Parts: sequence; C-alpha cells; structure tokens
Amino acid sequence: MSGRALAERGLLAVFVVFLLTVPWSVPLLLNPFWVSVIAEILIWSLFAASANLLFGYVGLLSFGQALFFGFGMYGVGIGIDHFGLSFWPAFGLGIVAAMAMAFVSGILAVRLTWHYFAIITVVFSLIFYFIAVSAKSVTGGDDGINFALPPTFSFGTVQYSFADANFQYFFILAAVAICFLLMHLVVNSPLGKAFLAVRENDVRASLIGLNVYVIRLIAFVMAGFLAGVAGALFAFFGRYASASYMFYTFSGEAVVWAIVGGAGTLFGPVVGASLFIVIREVVSTHWEHHSLIVGVMAILVVILAPKGIVGLWRDWVDTPADSAEIPAAPELRTEP
Amino acid sequence: MIDTLLLLSLNGLIWGLIIALIALGLSVIFGLLDIINIAHGDFFMVGTVLAWFSLQVTGNYWAGFLLVPLICFVLGAIMQRLVIQPIRGNPALSIVATFGLSLILQEVVRMTFGATPRRILPPIQGTMSLFGIQYDIYRLYAAGFSIAALAAFFLFLNYTKLGTWMRAVRHDRDTATAMGVPARLVYIMTFAVGFALAGFGGVVAAPITTVDFRGGVDLLPVCFIAVIVGGLGNLPGTAAAAVLLALLEGIVQSFANPTLARITSLLLMSAVLLLRPQGLFKGFAK
Repeated sequence: MSGRALAERGLLAVFVVFLLTVPWSVPLLLNPFWVSVIAEILIWSLFAASANLLFGYVGLLSFGQALFFGFGMYGVGIGIDHFGLSFWPAFGLGIVAAMAMAFVSGILAVRLTWHYFAIITVVFSLIFYFIAVSAKSVTGGDDGINFALPPTFSFGTVQYSFADANFQYFFILAAVAICFLLMHLVVNSPLGKAFLAVRENDVRASLIGLNVYVIRLIAFVMAGFLAGVAGALFAFFGRYASASYMFYTFSGEAVVWAIVGGAGTLFGPVVGASLFIVIREVVSTHWEHHSLIVGVMAILVVILAPKGIVGLWRDWVDTPADSAEIPAAPELRTEP
Repeated sequence: MIDTLLLLSLNGLIWGLIIALIALGLSVIFGLLDIINIAHGDFFMVGTVLAWFSLQVTGNYWAGFLLVPLICFVLGAIMQRLVIQPIRGNPALSIVATFGLSLILQEVVRMTFGATPRRILPPIQGTMSLFGIQYDIYRLYAAGFSIAALAAFFLFLNYTKLGTWMRAVRHDRDTATAMGVPARLVYIMTFAVGFALAGFGGVVAAPITTVDFRGGVDLLPVCFIAVIVGGLGNLPGTAAAAVLLALLEGIVQSFANPTLARITSLLLMSAVLLLRPQGLFKGFAK
C-alpha cells in the first residue's frame, strides 16, 4: 500500500471517529449549536456529491440538481402535511419522487452533453421552480410549508424522533454514510469504470460496446437519488419545505462545492461543503457580509488549487508510484 | 384586450432588445474565453446600480449612458487580469471563479447601495400615443439606445482592428497569435467589452425595472438560453433569440399570469434545445 493510501486511511479513521463522537465532543470543545451545523454540512455534502457524481465521474455538468433536492424535500413535506404519512413512507415518497423525476427528465436531458446539458438542466429545474412557486396551495410557494414531524421509530411507548437532537444527528449521519458507501461501491464497480470511460471519451466508450446513453441515464438517476435523499433529510431536519431551495442558484452551489473540494473524488464534496459552510457560520456571527469572504475564497481556491483541495493534497503527498491510479479531476474542454 | 396584447408585446420587444445586449456580452466572453460566466447577470445589476450612483453624483441621468459602460469596461479589464487569466481554458474552474465574482459583486453592492430595491424615475417622463395606446416615451428611447448599441457592437466587431483581432482569436487562437495578434490583450478587452455591454444594458433598463442587488439572478438563465438557442457562436442569432424570447413572454403574459408565461417560454426552450441543439438559426445565418 502506498504512503498516500495509508495516510488517507488514517485521515478517514480520524474523521469517522470524530463524526461518531460529535454530539459529545463538539459541545465540549465549541458549543451545542455546532452539532446541528455539522448535521447540515452532512446533508449539503450529499447534495454536492450528487453534482459530483455527474460532473466528476460521468463528465455531465448539471445545474439542475436542486430540482431533485426539491422533489425529495417536497415528497416528505407534502407526504406528511397533506397525506398524513408517517416517517418512513414520507421518506420513501421523497426518494421515489426524486428518482422518478430524474428518470423522466434524464431521458430527455442526457441526449445532450456539455453546454447543452447544463442549460437544459437549468431550464427543467426553472420550470418546476416556477410551478412550485405558483402552486401555493400545495407547496406554500416561497414561504414553504411547515409541518410537525412524526416519530421515526416507535416501540410501544418508547419513541425515537428528531425531537431528540442526538437521534436526529445520528440518523442523518447514518443516512449520509450509507449513501457515500453506495457511491464508493458503484464507483469501484465495472459500472463506475464505465462512467469514467464515458467521461474521458464518449466516442471510444461507445466503440468498445458501452451504451453511452444508458450509462449517462443511470448516472443521472443515481444523482437524482442522492439529491433526493439530501432533500428529504433536509425537510426532516428543518421540518420545512420551500420552493426557494429549488432555484438554480442552489444547484450552482452544489457544483461549486464539488469542484472546490475536488471533482471526481469521493470526499471532495464533503471537503468543499464543509469549507464553505464553516466559513459562513464562523464569519456570519461577526460580520454581516460573509458572502464576500466566501466569494474571495472560491476564487483563491481555483487559482491556487485547480484540482480542488483533495487534488492539491494528492499532488502534495503523491509519490510517482501512486500516479498510476485513475486521474481525479476531469479535463473538460470545449474544443471541437 | 388588443390594447393589452399590444402593450405587453411592445414591453416584451423592448426588454428583449436589452436582453440581447447583455446576452451578446455573455456570448463573446463564452465564445472567445471559454468562460461560463455565472457573474454576467450581476454585471447587468452593477450597471443599474452604477446608473443610480451616477444620477446621484451628476444629477443627470444621461451622463450614466457614457460613464457606466466606461466604469464597467475598466472593472472588466481588472477582473479578467486578476481572476480570469489564471484559470483561462478551463470552463469548469471558470464556473467557480465567476460564482465567486458574483458573490463579491452582490455583496459589495449590498454594502454600499443597500439591500432595499429602489426605483429610478425615467429621465423623460410622459407617454405618447402609439398604435392607439398610450406608451411610455422612455421605453421607446430605451429601444433606440439598445438598437444603436447593438449596431455599434457589430460595426466594432467587423470594422475595427480590435474587433477583427477578437474574431481572429476566436476563430483560431494559435494562428492568430502566430500572425502577431496580441492574444492576451484581446482576452482582456473581450471580457471588458462583455462587461461594458451588460453595464450599458443596466443603464438603459434601470428606469424600467428596479435597482436591486439581486437583480441579475433572474436574468442570467434567460441570457444563457438566448446564447444557446441562438446557436453557440452565432452572435446575430443570440440577439434574435433574446428578442424572440422576451416578445413571446410578453404575448403570453397578455393571456396568462407572468409565471405561466415564464413556464411556457421555458417549455418552448426545452423543445428547441432537444430538437435543434445546433441553435434555432443554423442554416439561416453564418
């Protein structure tokens, strides 16, 4: 095993231990408020991971992931508020709604690539954003809908619900961890290799017998799944669903987080989302204009670390023997 | 009914001419620099805000028509040199960098101009009768200014040295450089011209719309759609697509509410993208 792989395993182990002890260590070191910030970071990491799966692994730049986030969020919100569903069916409804939407829009969208794909994903998400904004009786429009959360598990008189902050944190952690594990498995499977083949050169991929269209569609639905789970978790977390989270600017943020962290790496989105949200939380308590810092940071990162933070780390610790691996950052060019 | 239709179509047409200006700026930056400029809507917004400041300072709105594009040009040149040049040639990074620019511009405007939207009174008030309806005179001036600016831009591109250089670098970067075209200067100028066009659009539009630090957010997708639907690299096509888009929205608005009009035009755009991804005008214009 190379030095880098060892170091990364070590870092991962430290990270996992940290995440498992957050509800106790963080209030001790900082204050309890940060536990919910970390839960939020986990959700946004998953959202960024959905943009990363498309851009980093298949080479499709989606500016429409907020659409599937929104479907996940509204699946839960409408399921609980209008249909009176309990926790798990609402969760299921959110995920299924997001994946179904991803499938339907994907059938059309993945026929296009690069700029055209980026624009059509924006257009699709804008269409549903405007529908959500105008259908006030169902979605609550920009104000959104608030709802009371049913318990997650109940065994007789014992109930576990999101009202318990620790339960809420561990539920989110578990859900996000399962999604990242699934992504890890997919990326390292033959399907994952097919993703990379399509990303690197779709013509060659089709010449060796891969069905590029189907592979892109599968990736699109998977990304819809990730965004849908993130949206559903966010609805549980905030007891709230709002059309404003379906706007294209949110999709853009997911792309930015993924690229800043390191596109085409499993943990890049986590790094990117953490960086931006931690800065926002730290600066916003002292200074109203925290976006200024975030903007400057985004520019500095791409100038100083064009492969993202994870890419920078790998260049820094890599020995020549490591470089035989899959290239991390995709080289996308617009040249004909 | 006919009156409403006429009024909203005219509004749409004029708004489309303004969008055409902004979208052209986006298109030259996109075509020549490979930059997906997320901040372009904010360039327009900066134009409206600078128009407001120039009115406060000079007391004369018309001064803004000269001052604002100039300031935007300089700002654009500085931004290209500091932010865009280091990451040039990598569209993915350009998304992040211009996202950063967008945040910075919005936040600086919020700090200086404030978060409350404001209105600017048109420098020419009053209405005149046009095809049987009373129409704002300023809007007609706005249309005139937009058309003049569009014409000036195409003349600049086709008949000046810098314009020729810009077309040359866009066509074939390496050959142009080998022929002695200062490519680096051309990059800086292109970004600056793109910003100036959006800024000019801002001055023209400020009395029609509101001045708000988030004023560019809604505009950005519209401009991108115009660029793509008009055909990548087809500048007259971009302008035509922008006008058509806004006109269509205006017409639908006279039958339905604005949101529904928005959805209709977006649906139409998806159809164009899927059926004619090479752009609406391929085969008509070169």
